[in-house]
This record gives sequence, structure tokens and C-alpha cells, in this order.
Amino acid sequence: MGALAIKNVTKSFGDTHILKGIDIEIESGQFLILVGPSGCGKSTLMNIIAGLESPTTGEVHIGGRVVNNVAPKDRDIAMVFQSYALYPTMNVRQNIAFGMETRGVPKKEQDEIIARVAKMLQMDHLLDRKPSQLSGGQRQRVAMGRALARDPILFLFDEPLSNLDAKLRVEMRTEIKQLHHRLKTTIVYVTHDQIEAMTLGDKIAVMKDGVIQQFGSPQEIYDQPANLFVASFIGSPSMNFIPCHLAEQDGQLGVSLQSEGEARFIALPQAAKLTGSVGKKVILGIRPEQFDVVGEQGLACKVHLTEPTGPDTMVLTQLNGIEVCARLHPREAKGPGDTVRLQPDVSKAVLFDAESEARLA
Amino acid sequence: MPKFWRGALYAALLVAALYYLLPLYVMVVTSLKTMDQIRAGNLLSLPTSISFEAWGKAWSSACTGVDCGGLQPFFWNSVRMVIPAVLISTTLGALNGYVLSKWRFRGSELTFALILFGVFIPFQVVLLPMAQTLGWFGIANSIAGLVTVHVIYGLASTTLFFRNYYVSIPDELIKAARLDGAGFWRIFLRIIIPMSTPIIMVVLIWQFTQIWNDFLFGVVFSAGDSKPITVGLNNLANTSTSVKEYNVDMSAALIAALPTILVYVFAGKYFVRGLTAGAVKG
Repeated sequence: MGALAIKNVTKSFGDTHILKGIDIEIESGQFLILVGPSGCGKSTLMNIIAGLESPTTGEVHIGGRVVNNVAPKDRDIAMVFQSYALYPTMNVRQNIAFGMETRGVPKKEQDEIIARVAKMLQMDHLLDRKPSQLSGGQRQRVAMGRALARDPILFLFDEPLSNLDAKLRVEMRTEIKQLHHRLKTTIVYVTHDQIEAMTLGDKIAVMKDGVIQQFGSPQEIYDQPANLFVASFIGSPSMNFIPCHLAEQDGQLGVSLQSEGEARFIALPQAAKLTGSVGKKVILGIRPEQFDVVGEQGLACKVHLTEPTGPDTMVLTQLNGIEVCARLHPREAKGPGDTVRLQPDVSKAVLFDAESEARLA
Repeated sequence: MPKFWRGALYAALLVAALYYLLPLYVMVVTSLKTMDQIRAGNLLSLPTSISFEAWGKAWSSACTGVDCGGLQPFFWNSVRMVIPAVLISTTLGALNGYVLSKWRFRGSELTFALILFGVFIPFQVVLLPMAQTLGWFGIANSIAGLVTVHVIYGLASTTLFFRNYYVSIPDELIKAARLDGAGFWRIFLRIIIPMSTPIIMVVLIWQFTQIWNDFLFGVVFSAGDSKPITVGLNNLANTSTSVKEYNVDMSAALIAALPTILVYVFAGKYFVRGLTAGAVKG
């Protein structure tokens, strides 16, 4: 039985359509990521799952029951907010206890739960402090503790890490993942950060303009993006999009890449089914790490700029008149003005229709 | 010459401060003089001996019209008017502000705009319709009537204060509380009110000052034994006797002003803190 199912959910305010028919279903224990740029409707969808907003049409199922008309408190869910939303006048203990108090959990049981949660998140020493006396990371921890105390069948995380500094964000990310491994509770996690989406998710729903662009595992989304938007949104640095025309040479379909006045035909075995479309304008998508430095057979590319990151060096050059980024081993990267001979690993390259932006191959 | 300008600035401020403090000085010294001293000295001279006789008279035996019981009954009238009026208008303002900022409904912005309109309605405009209404309710010329008038008139400002303060409280807090199972009242009483100390202080001081110092509503909507202190003071000062007792008049004015001065002295810091609390998010 699915832990969470969203069936054809729409949300409109008058003529403004925030969500245009969302369908998602995940299994119990899965970690679902809703990712997309701001304004894509992911937070609205989260609020609908939580019951803080109601859908215009469609159904939300949690743990196998339709919850459209169930109040947030009765949906057996717990939520962690971006701003943490800790009650500022209560100390940590009272913050965690507030929900249990409302639900009428006996005082003794409350104390046991608080002790257990505090131990799990290593925040025993913070229990008597006010939220204003805590650091960002500690507040985040308390917010998670408050959710854990609820022991729900579904956790909702609404951009929980976006107010933290970079280092802490990575630490908390790992911690959330460990927590999920330990608790095995279903989690829905909203983020605009594609790295969080990739590292945490069992399933990712990439959203844009109120529509799910692609729903799949992180690797599927990364390797077989459904369209140009998904391909550009997931992965950093972004996938390179090189405009070309589909061509045929020696009975093979492929595209031509030009650099420094030199053109080279690149055969694309995965494009074989597109025989009818020779001459069509397409966009070749190649991720930065899919370039190799090779000998004479490579395409001579002039390096415009290098961005060393430590393990890799990003080399910026041009292909077909478009800026292209190649992620190279620092040993192979040359300096600006030098020439590197690059060969794309075409087995993982993808082709998009230049007009519809959907993936062709 | 920044030093020169700084000096000039302080001089100007000093003059302004003196200008404002001089009347208070005159009132205080005059109230402590006897009539003989007043006749002998000038307006600014210090009393040769301090006498609280005028204060005593103003409080309990000065004549206001035909009654000669001092300001005392008027003072207690004002107390009996101001306490319920301040508490009720503050409570309702907090509730209004909470609803208009955190439980928006269709038309809530319009409702707020209309309530806001009340801040700009001059007292004089509502006098006649209000008198009629109080008559219909059967509370004309009573303290209950005055309380009602002040509550209704104060609602616009108290709502404005609370609404603007609550707008800066993140909505996620309300969402979190709803997920925790709290409803309208529990969120209000357990989450919102404990966060409201600064703005409650502001509104209490504001309302107290407004209502205590009000003269117009007091003089129009009260009669006989329900008159507030501002009306009493007016009657006391305007009652013509053979001699004009300046010291008694000044004492009476100070008695009438004392509660608001004390409120500022003891709660003034909250006032400044609360007024800026909404603007600068801490």
C-alpha cells in the first residue's frame, strides 16, 4: 500500500493555476523529493499534503486513506519548516511538548518521548534554552526533534536546510539521511537545491510551472532527463546544450561539432531510431564530466577560462559557437589560451528537440 | 566647524526643552504655594515654603459648580471608565489583529481598510449619532456608556497596532501550531499572546492616555455623577468664586495629568521598544 498518493491534484486561485494536475505515488519508507525553481508550486503541493491548503480538485491519500477532509492535526504527519517555526516564548522542552500536550499525551509519556528524541538528536543540553539562545543548526535540530516526537507515518520537510550556512547544510543533510535510514519513515522533502535532491531522494519529482516534468530515481533523472528543463536543473555545473542538426554519415546518425574552424561528425548510436528526422534542429546534451582529453583524434578546443575546484578543473571552451564546460582532471586541464583535444563520451549524451525541448534520444 | 554646529544644535534643543518644561514648572511651583505667596511673588519664583494645602483642596473640597467635593469623585469615575475601556479595547484589538493577519478570509483586507478608516474619523463627527445610539441602548449619561464609546472609538487604533505587529510574525509559526493540533484560541493564547508583550504595552499606554485625557466624549456623553476627571477639572477651573485660586487650579490640573505621566515614567521604555519592534525585525 502506498504511503502517499497524490491523484490529479490541481490548485487554482481564480485564473492563476498553481498546480496543474499532479500525480505522485510513493511506497512506505521512501524519501520523496519535490524539487524545482521558486514559484513552481512545490511548496503549495507540500501545504496540500499537510492539509494547510486544500486542493481545487484531486485527492490526497496518506497511509491508504483519503485525507482531503481530514484536518492537518489528524493526518498523522509532522512537518519541519524552513524558518524552523519554533515557538519563541517557549523553551526547547516546551516546544517539543506543545503538540503532545494538545493531543493529550500523559505528562510521564511526554517526558519519556522528549528524553528519547533529545538523545537521538544529541540535544539534551539544549532542552531548557529558548530558541533565541540557539544557533541556526541547533534550531534546525530542535525543529526536527519536534517532528520526531510526533512519531508520524509521514514527515514533511519544507526547505529545511536553506537557512543554514554551506558547511552546516552538508552536515545536516547527512544527518537527515542517516535519520531516514534509522527510522524508515516516509519523507516528503521540498527543496530548490538539486544537490540535496540527488543526495537524499529515493524518488525525485522535478516541478516547473505547476507541472511535474519528471518523476523518477535520482539516477534516472540525471542520466535520462525527460526534457531540457530537467537536464538543465539537475547537475552542477549544468549540462551543456549544443545546438546542432541531425545528420547522417556512413549510414550512421549523428551530429556535427565544430571548434576552431574544424568540424567533426559524432555518431550517436542512440539516435538510430530518428532516421526520419535527418536535418532536423536538435540540441545535444553533454554533461561536463562526459568529456575526455584524448590525443590527435579529439576535437581541438581553445580554453577560455579554467575554474579549479580541487578534485576537478572546469574548463570553459566553445563548441558550435556555444560556451561549453568540461570537467577535467587538473593534470589534463590546460591554462586559458591553450588548446585541449576533447572527445565527448557519446554513450551518455542525450538529444533534445530544439522546439518542443523534449528528449528525443 | 562641526563643533560649533553641534553646540548650536544642543542650544536649540535646550531652548525647545525649556519651552516645553516651563509650563510644567509654573504649574508645579504654583500648586505648592499659598495664595499669599502667589500674590507676593511672580509666576516663576520658587515657593518660600512648600504647602500641600492646595492639593488637598483640589482633591477633596474644591467647588465644581454647586458641588464642593473636589476632584475625588471625578477621579474615581475616570478610573472606573478607563480600566474596562482599555482592557476591552486592547483585547478586542489583539483579536482583530490576529484574525486580520493570520486567519485571512475573503474580504479581510477590505475589512481592515474599513477599520483603518475609523482612525481618521474626527471625534466631532460621531457625537450626534453616538448620542442617539447610546440612548437606544439605555446607557446614555453613564460610565457604561462612556466605556462603550471609548471601546468602539479605540478599536480602530488598537486593531491597527496589533495587526501590523502580527504581520511580522511568520505564518509558519501558525502552520506549525496547527499541525501540532492547536486551534484558533489555543494558538492565540499560547503562541501569539506570549509574543505580544511589547505591543500590548504600547496599546495599553496609548489607550490609557487617549481615554484618560479625553474631554469631548466625557463632556458630551456623561452627566451628574458619571463625569470623568477632565470634565471635573474644567468645571473646577471655570467655577467662579470671589477669588481665583490659582494654586488649587494648578494642583487639580496636575492631579488630572498624574496618572498618564506615571504610566509613561514606568512603562515608557516599553512604548519605544514596542513601537520599533514591528519595524525592525529583531
